Amino acid sequence: MNSFWNGKRRYVALLLFLAGVFVALEVPPVIPFIQLPGENLPSGYNIPFTDMRITNTLVAAVIVWILLLLFLAYIARRRPKDGSEVPPGGFYNMFEALYEGLMGFISGIAGGAHFRLIFNMFMTIFLIVLLSNWMSLIPGIDTVGFIHAHTKEKYDPATEEYKVITTDGYEIYQGFLGISYVNGQCDWISPADEAAADEAALANAEAVRLAAIDELAVKVAYARYQASHDGHGDDATEEGAGGHGDDDHAEEAGDSDEASAAYDEVLAAREAEKQARRDRDCYTGVAISPWEDGYEPSGKDEKKEPIPLHPDPGSAEAKRVPWVVLPLVRVASTDLNMTLTLAIIAVVMVQYVGVKALGIGYLTKFFNFGTLFKSPLGGIDVAVGLLELIGDFAKILSFSFRLLGAMFAGAILLFVMSFLVPILPWPFFILEFFVGAIQALVFALLTAIFMNLATISHHHDDDHDHAEAH
Amino acid sequence: MEALGINPGMMLIWLIAFIMLYVLLTRFIYDPLTNVLNERRNRIAKGLEDAAAAARARENAEAEAEKILAQARSEAQKVIDEARGRGDDVAGTIEGEARQEAARIQYEAQNEAVAIRNAELGNLRDQVLNISVAVAGRILGENISKTKQKALVNSFITDLPEGAKGLGGSVEVVSAMPLTAAEQKQITSEVGADEAEFAVDPSILGGLIVRWPGGLVDGSVRSQLNELARSLN
Amino acid sequence: MDPQSTIILGKAIGAGLAMIGAAGGGIGIGLSVGGAVQAMGRNPDHTPTIQTNMILGVAFAEAVAIYALVVSLIILFVLN
Repeated sequence: MNSFWNGKRRYVALLLFLAGVFVALEVPPVIPFIQLPGENLPSGYNIPFTDMRITNTLVAAVIVWILLLLFLAYIARRRPKDGSEVPPGGFYNMFEALYEGLMGFISGIAGGAHFRLIFNMFMTIFLIVLLSNWMSLIPGIDTVGFIHAHTKEKYDPATEEYKVITTDGYEIYQGFLGISYVNGQCDWISPADEAAADEAALANAEAVRLAAIDELAVKVAYARYQASHDGHGDDATEEGAGGHGDDDHAEEAGDSDEASAAYDEVLAAREAEKQARRDRDCYTGVAISPWEDGYEPSGKDEKKEPIPLHPDPGSAEAKRVPWVVLPLVRVASTDLNMTLTLAIIAVVMVQYVGVKALGIGYLTKFFNFGTLFKSPLGGIDVAVGLLELIGDFAKILSFSFRLLGAMFAGAILLFVMSFLVPILPWPFFILEFFVGAIQALVFALLTAIFMNLATISHHHDDDHDHAEAH
Repeated sequence: MEALGINPGMMLIWLIAFIMLYVLLTRFIYDPLTNVLNERRNRIAKGLEDAAAAARARENAEAEAEKILAQARSEAQKVIDEARGRGDDVAGTIEGEARQEAARIQYEAQNEAVAIRNAELGNLRDQVLNISVAVAGRILGENISKTKQKALVNSFITDLPEGAKGLGGSVEVVSAMPLTAAEQKQITSEVGADEAEFAVDPSILGGLIVRWPGGLVDGSVRSQLNELARSLN
Repeated sequence: MDPQSTIILGKAIGAGLAMIGAAGGGIGIGLSVGGAVQAMGRNPDHTPTIQTNMILGVAFAEAVAIYALVVSLIILFVLN
């Protein structure tokens, strides 16, 4: 195997690069619709025994769990049964080297009595977050999925009810090999917008025509003024009255040639614009309210014809609404639910290990009323304790938003780079590789450090003082 | 609240899910895994301790071993030195003996050779005497008394030069022919030496050369012939 | 001016004003990171401790900016 690939990898890489160029030209990339919460998958796929909709981040999470379980089975099967056995090579050995390195690392940080608990916690969080983060590197994740109608509900204060509105999306398009995709070159324009644009063009043309006529009228008036000055002064009014009929004639004449030419020109430009759009294979949607499969607008009452999930491109149905891609899998760490849950678990475990190590006295860290009446600065201790309490809640936010921000920004970075330079996002994939590893390490390491700090008595100085007094 | 998407029902779901996940994860992952990891850490710590103790023990053992090793090394050195010394002694002894033996053999061989030569020369002396008597008789044409002739020849051989009489001390006498014991005794007394060593050198042809520490008297026929040859030239 | 436009105008201005709060977060992050870097420069041995505390401080400072962002996002996307 190795000898076969020797010196040939570069050609494989070149081939993939060329394939990337081809795909980028054939299937123009699209910035997916970006939203923070995980997108719901089409209905009918509820979480069993609940009425919760499956989000694409949950799909990624399930993949992570399954991968971890497979990994667990693999490691549990291959690991040596005792210390005298020689460990097997390959992937297992790599994992063991990593495991041993991290074990040494954590025992250097938190090598106390609670090392086992702290290290197991560290390792679990590390593995879960690392796998979740690195999923963003797999091609197809965040980009391949359902094409769905992009709609939004909006409260209309005028009618005091929710209205389903369509927002900007793309036309659906049929690529090669029968793959449907939304075409980044064809912005979806709603029929209303199209009609409005037509109207605007007409109005503009009318305005241009009138302006041309006005200009002509001014010219005629000026010419008449000149003529009247040249002629006798007393019959000026008479001639003026008679000349009005001439003006009308002039207006008619202008309307028939110059003004109407300007009018046609504007309309022709509008027509050319529409034609260019048609030439790009873009069509304008039919004006009906969007109706995602199973989607029920809060407006209720009116039943509407559902739009199929995989519309036939080119059919009338396909053009009724703007389409966006709903990724089947979105990296789990871009969902606040995951990061928040892990952060809460981490902070709860910090409190747990603190109570386990120091007993109920650990809570005096937060509610430190012991010195309130003994020391003149007792009030400060109380305030500090309360600040600690707030600080621990802030830890939850800091943990969750650090991971979420880094990974969500990374995902957007990959979208945008793929959109701007379709064939060259790979340096950013390398960046994401490191960011994913570092964020996983930081999350797990901070958990370990905070857990270790909680096991260390904060009354150490007091004890020291007592010892000296004795 | 509504606009932020806060939904108490959803939060409740999350809460339940979180608690369930916490309980399950704690039950099936955190508790057992933490125990396993602690146990493993303890085991490792214990293992490290044991290893440290073992290392300490090993260090001690190593020091001990080092000490023992050093001791052994020095002992071995001593043994080697001893062995080398003894070997050297033995070798020296053997060599000395061999040398002595060789010298002895050489000496004996020399002596033997000299003795054989002297014996040969002694035999020759009689023949020379006879030949000289016969030659003299033919030349003179008369029958010469053999005894007289022999005495003459003997005196030719054993004629002691003038300056060599009454010397004393130890002298070396070189003759052309081996001398008989009587002659030797006579010459010794004539020289007046306490001790005389007799050597034979046929190349001096006749007469005696007497050598003593501090001088020599050459009464040999060869030197006389040489002198004659010089004066004739 | 029609009422719808007035609402949009007000939202945009409000969101923009809310984001001024992010400046505080920016200043805080700048100060804490600057201090941490100085401390690390002077005392490199304690970098892990300083870094941990810096990230915590940056997270707290960033939280303020994120609150501003959340307010701005709520103005833009939640308010009707």
